[in-house]
Amino acid sequence: MSGQSSSLAAPPQREPGPPEAAVIETIALTKRYPGPVTALDGLTVTVEPGITGLVGANGAGKSTLIKILLGLLAPTSGQARVLGGDCVRDGERIRGLTGYMPEHDCLPPDVTATEFVTHLGRMSGLPPTAAKERAAESLRHVGLYEERYRQIGTYSTGMKQRVKLAQALVGDPRLLLLDEPTVGLDPAGRTSMLELIARVGAEFGISILVASHLLGEIERICDQLVAIDAGRLLRADTITSMTQASEVLLIEVDEGADQLLAELGRRGLEPRPYQRAVLVRLDGDETYDAVRDAVADLGLPLNRLEQRRRRVEELFRDDQPEVSGVR
Amino acid sequence: MSAEHEVIGEPARLAGAETGVIHDIGYRRYTGRRLGRAQIVRALYWHSLRSAYGLGRGAKAKIIPVLTFAVMCLPAVVNAVAIENGQARIVPYDTYLFQLRVVVMIIFIAAQAPELVSRDLRSHVLPLYFCRPLRRLDYPLAKLAAFITACLAIIEIPLLLLYLGTIAQAHSGTAIWAQTRALIPGLLVGLMWAVLLAAIGLALASLSGRRAYATGAIAIYFFLTWILAGILIAVTQRNVVRAVVVHPPPGAVAKGAPPGAPGPGTFVAHEITQVPTTAAHLSGLVSPFTTLDGVRLWLGGTSPGPVPGVGGYGALYGAMLLVLLAASLGGLAARYRKAGMA
Amino acid sequence: MSTVELRNVSRWYGNVVAVNDITMTIGPGVTGLLGPNGAGKSTVLHLIAGFLAPSRGEVTVGGAASWRNPGIYRTVGLVPERDSVYAFLTGEEFVRDTATLHQLADPAGAARRAIAIADMADAQGRRISTYSKGMRQRIKVAAALVHDPQVLLLDEPFNGMDPRQRLHMMDLLIKLGAEGRTILLSSHILEEVEQLADTIQVIVSGRLAASGDFRAIRRLMTSRPHVFLVRSSDDRRLGSALIGRPAVTGVELTGGGLQVRASDFGAFSRELAGLARDQDIRLRELLPEDESLESVFAYLVES
Repeated sequence: MSGQSSSLAAPPQREPGPPEAAVIETIALTKRYPGPVTALDGLTVTVEPGITGLVGANGAGKSTLIKILLGLLAPTSGQARVLGGDCVRDGERIRGLTGYMPEHDCLPPDVTATEFVTHLGRMSGLPPTAAKERAAESLRHVGLYEERYRQIGTYSTGMKQRVKLAQALVGDPRLLLLDEPTVGLDPAGRTSMLELIARVGAEFGISILVASHLLGEIERICDQLVAIDAGRLLRADTITSMTQASEVLLIEVDEGADQLLAELGRRGLEPRPYQRAVLVRLDGDETYDAVRDAVADLGLPLNRLEQRRRRVEELFRDDQPEVSGVR
Repeated sequence: MSAEHEVIGEPARLAGAETGVIHDIGYRRYTGRRLGRAQIVRALYWHSLRSAYGLGRGAKAKIIPVLTFAVMCLPAVVNAVAIENGQARIVPYDTYLFQLRVVVMIIFIAAQAPELVSRDLRSHVLPLYFCRPLRRLDYPLAKLAAFITACLAIIEIPLLLLYLGTIAQAHSGTAIWAQTRALIPGLLVGLMWAVLLAAIGLALASLSGRRAYATGAIAIYFFLTWILAGILIAVTQRNVVRAVVVHPPPGAVAKGAPPGAPGPGTFVAHEITQVPTTAAHLSGLVSPFTTLDGVRLWLGGTSPGPVPGVGGYGALYGAMLLVLLAASLGGLAARYRKAGMA
Repeated sequence: MSTVELRNVSRWYGNVVAVNDITMTIGPGVTGLLGPNGAGKSTVLHLIAGFLAPSRGEVTVGGAASWRNPGIYRTVGLVPERDSVYAFLTGEEFVRDTATLHQLADPAGAARRAIAIADMADAQGRRISTYSKGMRQRIKVAAALVHDPQVLLLDEPFNGMDPRQRLHMMDLLIKLGAEGRTILLSSHILEEVEQLADTIQVIVSGRLAASGDFRAIRRLMTSRPHVFLVRSSDDRRLGSALIGRPAVTGVELTGGGLQVRASDFGAFSRELAGLARDQDIRLRELLPEDESLESVFAYLVES
């Protein structure tokens, strides 16, 4: 039956963004400080729209890169472009299109979140009414409700991080730069901040660059990864290609691993033990069936069956273990 | 639905009468007007001006601004009452009540300059300003403009009250014009005061994120230099002794002498006057307040003030004023250029 | 070999009970100390380090009380969370001074060894004020190791370290734990604790909520069905076969596969392969969804 309005319709789709232009581009970007300290050394990388993790750049490299991208620091040599503009020439315009969430504490304690985010909305160039409205909206999107009328000094770490994110969103940025957004949060806080960031990236149509040391969270929410080492590009790739499945199948049983090892060997699969589990080479679909049958025959409690994937962490391991970390 | 279907009980609702809507309250892009840098700086200016007066901060923050303003207006009000009772204006426009001004401005600046500047330093909020479409120096510029305005109001409004109180009793156009001509230099002197003192106050406050330290630094600097100037000026005066021959008129009698006693004859009296030396002329350079007064004298001010004349060194006072101003502005610029994004 | 023991320890500040009747034993190997913010983890670390006295109960390290007993610092090394280094010293000076304070016979040599272990040999000549956050952490670890302690207490030690430094530090801690030292590590990054720690101690609102191997703790939560994700050649048919089993309380077809809730985890894991074979369904993937430390922790905090 047709009604006048779309009853129970799904929310309208977000309009697709502009064609896939790179969000950030650097070409042989170099920055040297007197010291002599080289923070960035010929960094050439392209960041596509979506959620990108920035990893590895510690200390000088990361903050230098952020300052250059925001047009606050001129490179020693090389070029940087953000959202189509040159960082040195169009710095002001770029800052009007980006939102930045610093790593450190940056909130005054004796102001309410509403006042604070509204004021920063004005500083982003919003007219007074728009600043108030967008501040209220941003605080709602980050999950701050009645708390927003209390002074920031009374907030928990998790709430403070949300205020920082809200002020980055208030100006409707096209690109968000988040510097270690989960630092200081306990596990529950981290999970909700990561979910929030994933939502912002997926639903709000805003590209995000997340600087983080935690590869686990980058694997969880990012589409792409840029890894920097000693000022240079170590690797830039999609997360999918960095976590590709390998041709190894992992089988974990709660007891009887030796029996399983023997039985799989008997079936010609060349199993080898790995910590609590057993690995076999994946030789087509028959391998799955052979494993299933072996486990069923022995009546062993099957706890895990998984095709091993590469992990982002392997990029930073000097040695090359088969797989990393699972105990 | 078949036409023969009998309706029992309540008639069926019309199709389409029950509808529901789910509104999209997801994220919205902003497609409205965006203001340029000039307007952003203006918004920061107003925001800072409000904090200089403690507006939007709760009652406690307004105490000092209100009290200092009230105290500064007091002489103007008293003068207005005196004029109503027929007396002439006693408070000059260009020096006002000098001592009162000094004390009030020290208190206002020491209390409020940290409000504008030290708080942001303490909470490390500056990166959130610099990552926005502003330039580095826009921040101290807006703060300075706001603080100058704040100091200006405290200095000039009492002068205007003084003026209004005086001309309210004036009866002729020429009298009003005379008052106006006297007021204008006073306003200019007030402007100098506001600009220099605000700049020094902010520069000193920007040295520390701790409000107590900033207030202390400002108060100590202004008070000590002021007291020092006062002492120097006093001790560098030279006593000039002049012998004067006094011829008492005939019939004059010495005080206390019985009537009919013989009058005193000619005698020599010693007259002591204080004459400023060169050192005294220069002592005013030590304090911003006396420097301002020296410049006033140099530019032709006539009311007596703490500086006993500039004795030809007027230009030095002018130079000192510029040096203090340049140092303060330079200090502010250096401070905020350095403030990192951490 | 040094064991840390807390017996009925409570610590309060006026009306605020930071630690409420905790009894736990921490032995050799790496133990993770976990809990939400404000749960009392730092208080426990400070009690063990002898910086606080228990309001009630006893805290001992290697049998000796930790409070008012500077002797324990021969066996205990502490890496606190706060920046507690003198920024004007060089890394080498800082570690060597710490060694001198410990009255070691050869402070310079001990410092050199500790700095090598913490992989800070290249930067040791520079002032700490020039160090990045991760480097400061490593120099703090070197200073904590300089007297070769049997007990190591670390509060958020990976804070600020980049991935390579983290991996290196994790390998170091695993090695030290394998040597028989008692290492207690407080951290919010559960994926790392999962890789490092043999046992965990979970503190919630000042009380000890759970201790031991987190997998064993999960098995103890019998009221919570285990959740698995299964991908097979025919999820729907497999699902309908599974729901017929008493061990299974629920199946759900999701975008990622078949989500199975098993009240009897043991029975389910034994039956699955056979069931799939009987139905001629190929099993491609079986993943436990809530057996990770992250899930176990979330359950403990929730309850």
